[in-house]
Amino acid sequence: MSAEAAGASPGIRACDSDQTMTRIGADESARAQSATDTERDPEDWIVALSVEGPKRHHALRRLHALLLRAARHQVRRMDTLLDGAGPDVADELTHQAADEAMVALLAKLHTFQGRSRFTTWAYKFGILQAATAVRSHAWRTRQVVLDDSSVTVDLGPSVEEYAETADLARAVRRAIDETLTPHQRRIMLALLVDEVPIDVLAERLGTNRNALYKTLHDARVRVRADLTAAGFLRAASGKGNAR
Amino acid sequence: MREQPRVITQEILHILIKDTEPWLSCDDCFEMLDEYADRRLVDRDDAHTSMVTHLEACPACAEEAASLLALIANDE
Repeated sequence: MSAEAAGASPGIRACDSDQTMTRIGADESARAQSATDTERDPEDWIVALSVEGPKRHHALRRLHALLLRAARHQVRRMDTLLDGAGPDVADELTHQAADEAMVALLAKLHTFQGRSRFTTWAYKFGILQAATAVRSHAWRTRQVVLDDSSVTVDLGPSVEEYAETADLARAVRRAIDETLTPHQRRIMLALLVDEVPIDVLAERLGTNRNALYKTLHDARVRVRADLTAAGFLRAASGKGNAR
Repeated sequence: MREQPRVITQEILHILIKDTEPWLSCDDCFEMLDEYADRRLVDRDDAHTSMVTHLEACPACAEEAASLLALIANDE
């Protein structure tokens, strides 16, 4: 590193005197420390992000880098859904997700209770935003059909092969037709049979993921209760208890 | 109007009747996700029943949980 680059006064050569050498050494050390600080994550993220000043600016930059990392990771995991889209689209989705995650995280900063590492907590915001963005992009030209009239459910060949399973499938179809409200039926079939992603469906219906999952949960409870009454499921709640 | 009738496969059949008790919302799942991931990194068997049930029943949350686990594992 040159003396100028190290912050020494122009025109002073590094070997002019011991005093100058010491000064240059101190300047280099300070600059090296500064560079390290710039690259290092804050020791206490909450404090760094909460107090106005250079430390907060540094923390915000580091946080955005974390969120970009998480968003990029997520977009890469789901890149098959972006088939046909160029790298520019993936890059745009990544950066947009990181920006939105930053806003969402900062709004919830006060809720961080230290039950996990801050970086893990931060990553989940980037992952959520990126996953939602990719699903939304993948479905942007696809129509979501929500039938509220009669439900036509045909049994696939793999189900028809086995009489017992076919009986269960017919009972499930009847339970869906007869025990669910039209809204529950539409949501259940869209999410589970048509495999519309839950956040895409939420966006189309102007609701949220939480509300749709609750509707789906309630629908499953009704269907299971009907199947239990009909003798297809055991009464006690348990996993995989189809008879 | 739908042109093709819906087809129930064996896999869909099991998803339709999946037991999703104990109840956990997607919001609560997101709330617990970081702690769940950090603990799973140390102990693969350490997980709340409600969390596991939700992740088995919600493909979107399951993908995000798997993704977070993979990301923090890369950091180790």
